[in-house]
Amino acid sequence: MALPRNVLRILEDIVGPENISDEPVVLDTYAFQYLAETVTGTKFCARPGAVVLPGSTEEVQAIVKTCNRYRVKFKALSTGWGVWNTVGGEGTIQLDLRRMNRILDIDDKNMYAVVEPYVIGAQLQVEAMKRGLNCHIIGAGANFSPLASCTSMVGHGLSGIFMGFSARNPLAVEWVLPTGDILRLGSLGSGAGWFCGDGPGPSLRGIMRGFMGAMGGMGVFTKCAVKLYPWPGPPVLQIEGLTPEYTTSVPDNFRFYALAFPNWDRFADAAYKIAEAEIGYVMGRQLPPGLVPLLLVRSSAEYAQTRQSGMADELMQEFRHAFLLVLAGSSLREIEYQEKALKEILAETEGRIPSLTQDPEIEKTGFSFLVKGDRNGLIFKLAGTFHTSFGAATAWDAAVAGAKTGEELKKKYIEKGVIVDDAADAAWGGLYEQGRFGHLEELFMYDPSDPESAKGAVEYLAEADEAVLQRSLGQPLGALPNQAAGVYGPACFNYQDWMRRIKKAFDPNVASDPSFYIEPEES
Amino acid sequence: MALQDYRNDMQRCSRCSLCKWPPLAQIKSWRFSNVCPSMVWGNFHAYSAGGRLIAALALLEGRIEYTDKLVEIVYQCQMDGACDVSCKVTRDLEPLEAMLELRAKCVEDGQLLPAHMVMVESLRSDDNVLSQPKAERGKWAAGLDVKDIAREKADVLYFAGCRHSFDQDLRPTARGVVTLLERAGVDVGISGREEACCGGRAYETGYRGEFIKYAEHNIETWNGAGVSTVVTSCSDCYGTFRFHYPKIGKAMNFEVLHITEYLDLLIKGGKIKPIKKVPLRVTYHDPCHLGRLSEPYLPWVGVERKVLGQIVIKDPPKEFRRGTNGIYEPPRAVLKSIPGVELVEMERIKEYAWCCGAGGGVKEAYPDFALWTAKERIEEAKATGAEALVTACPWCERNFRDALGQNMDKMKLYDIVELLLEAL
Repeated sequence: MALPRNVLRILEDIVGPENISDEPVVLDTYAFQYLAETVTGTKFCARPGAVVLPGSTEEVQAIVKTCNRYRVKFKALSTGWGVWNTVGGEGTIQLDLRRMNRILDIDDKNMYAVVEPYVIGAQLQVEAMKRGLNCHIIGAGANFSPLASCTSMVGHGLSGIFMGFSARNPLAVEWVLPTGDILRLGSLGSGAGWFCGDGPGPSLRGIMRGFMGAMGGMGVFTKCAVKLYPWPGPPVLQIEGLTPEYTTSVPDNFRFYALAFPNWDRFADAAYKIAEAEIGYVMGRQLPPGLVPLLLVRSSAEYAQTRQSGMADELMQEFRHAFLLVLAGSSLREIEYQEKALKEILAETEGRIPSLTQDPEIEKTGFSFLVKGDRNGLIFKLAGTFHTSFGAATAWDAAVAGAKTGEELKKKYIEKGVIVDDAADAAWGGLYEQGRFGHLEELFMYDPSDPESAKGAVEYLAEADEAVLQRSLGQPLGALPNQAAGVYGPACFNYQDWMRRIKKAFDPNVASDPSFYIEPEES
Repeated sequence: MALQDYRNDMQRCSRCSLCKWPPLAQIKSWRFSNVCPSMVWGNFHAYSAGGRLIAALALLEGRIEYTDKLVEIVYQCQMDGACDVSCKVTRDLEPLEAMLELRAKCVEDGQLLPAHMVMVESLRSDDNVLSQPKAERGKWAAGLDVKDIAREKADVLYFAGCRHSFDQDLRPTARGVVTLLERAGVDVGISGREEACCGGRAYETGYRGEFIKYAEHNIETWNGAGVSTVVTSCSDCYGTFRFHYPKIGKAMNFEVLHITEYLDLLIKGGKIKPIKKVPLRVTYHDPCHLGRLSEPYLPWVGVERKVLGQIVIKDPPKEFRRGTNGIYEPPRAVLKSIPGVELVEMERIKEYAWCCGAGGGVKEAYPDFALWTAKERIEEAKATGAEALVTACPWCERNFRDALGQNMDKMKLYDIVELLLEAL
């Protein structure tokens, strides 16, 4: 559906002609998305009516007000990675926030950065490290938008043991509401700067994002203060090697380990003990057995060869109940203490260090991988894409129970041949906030260009959702709010009713595209 | 392979945007954290490699038709391959190959840019891409005592390329190459007036017929002349010889070297001795066609198969060009051999270097975009504190000169050859 010409003209006046397009070729590059096939059965979702590139909060506000005035829906994206970024219907205006890409401030003393939507984790991290600070990198990898993750989307990364997670890390926020009014959350709301998300000033973190985030369904977030954490490493991590084998030497006050355990119980115990000892800097299951051979190969063919020849068997077995760990000491004495503490934990939990990770080159690769989050995209290599199942944010033991269920369920679909045979174990996740909660999501890989594979993936996902309900495993990480509300809401005090009320109160004209959040009225 | 052969790659693009940035581990600052000039210039996702894969898929699926905008999106790109390197840190896709095929399809379907048509007309009439008379091609060598391989046998052929042959500002480098090689005792010859374009620009802009004509002609000529080595000071030509010529399947009975590789060998072998001090703090710009794009072509014919359920493999196994094997060290070694020269590196180097802006037919069709891209690189060079920017490609040098000139910028600019000559 074409946008009315007068609306296009108004938008053009707001952003300038070079920053708006209704060309089909441009629009289709926003309709195509990762995971689209799980929603529409094809790689394309609805085509927006126009794509607009605002350059400032004022432009965003003017666009949103125009949408309200002319009863046109809008949907904003930052890096725009995932089906939830797409518009729900043709004619909706897509705001691509790419031009709002600045790090506005890094406050060393108060340990936060103020960022715009298109700043990515890798950019923020290198600038923070120059000041002895670091930011949380989520599991998607360092190409994520910290602002989007903090304000609009769920996200955990393996540095979460030390650095919280995406819902915990936003401080003050500048928010263009669905009506076009600007709301400044936290200390910003009382003119006191960016240092706090909860006051002095309005504290609406729960309204803003709930747990899962509104995924573009509650207006536009234009600036966000993101919490930073200490980085006791060098200001610049020198990367060695040429692509794709990038490594970095482990600084003297850091350690990198893979830790393997005889069973899930010992695995869980060890993680708890490390968290309780407060010695982890990055920790989690970055390389479950089905993915660990990727460390040794360049191509999917080499991966397959390694698996089929049996060369990877021992390695995969070693990583069966294993996680990776980075320790960081603020001094050499502290890192010695942490090593001693870890040694005791390993003795108590029958833990050991697999031979592979004692190789200095693997150690350098693993360290860079974990600290920088630069190669998380490897999960796409084998089949073309992946999706996630299970993975509720829950007690660590419950997360392990979810991983076991996922494994059991995946076997059936592996036997059908519709997803990748990853030994049925690609449970990814970690333990966060010094052990207060954890998650293990069961990843599964499939070929999005193969309709049978994509269909199989959707069927697996439906069965996984059912298993979650039957076994009370908690809401899966990958459940999109609009879908989850129907599936899990009735089992969780009908929380979706509150979502609808919030949506109605904040968006009386339903201008902010609700398609991946929640419709204000139940259909 | 044709565009449709990359259809699965298009569908497997995860829209992760990694094609827009250097390999993430290599990002060193916010300021210089982009790697794709087209994306920064165009801003809409369509201007990224991922966007072009989607556009190609939409075209193949009949969702869109040719428009001026589509053609602009296809051609407003230097085809510098940085996206390809970044993508392949984690993926086994071929974004650059697919984009090259998209251009070939555009030409096949009659979607042509006027500026490129002028270039192709010039190729057809005068064997060069610069609309210069063929008769003047050999003038750069006037007065040099150098063999003409059409008349005399020589062990090494020096191929000047269109830019070094016709661009009067840059001719001293071509003459310098001959001087250096002769002083090193190399038995070198040139083709002079009879030299013809490498055809690389034709390939990059989608004119496959023109490319094949020049590739066949040059290979036959050099095989016939019996030269053991073809040396060029043009990175564009070099990249074409290494990446595109092998695609036509004609035996190449000679080795191809870029002048920086050859000079590195001659210096290490003691044939050239830089002894004079050249006190200069320099930074080196990796030309795309000498760096990531010069990685040799790896022929592969096969099929895609599924194993272990849905793992997609190429059968027989395919080696991917990931940018690892470009020419990165020889130019640096030459610079380091010059007494007094201090080399300081920019943030974006080697396989993830920012492009100069001149390639892919952009300088011809979108000169403002080409100059903007060069200015961005000059900013990066200045941030190192270097007094001079050094490169090893006449297309880069031309574009940097134009950008420096437009800004009335005093930063010094050299080809490596010129700097080495100063040291002798």
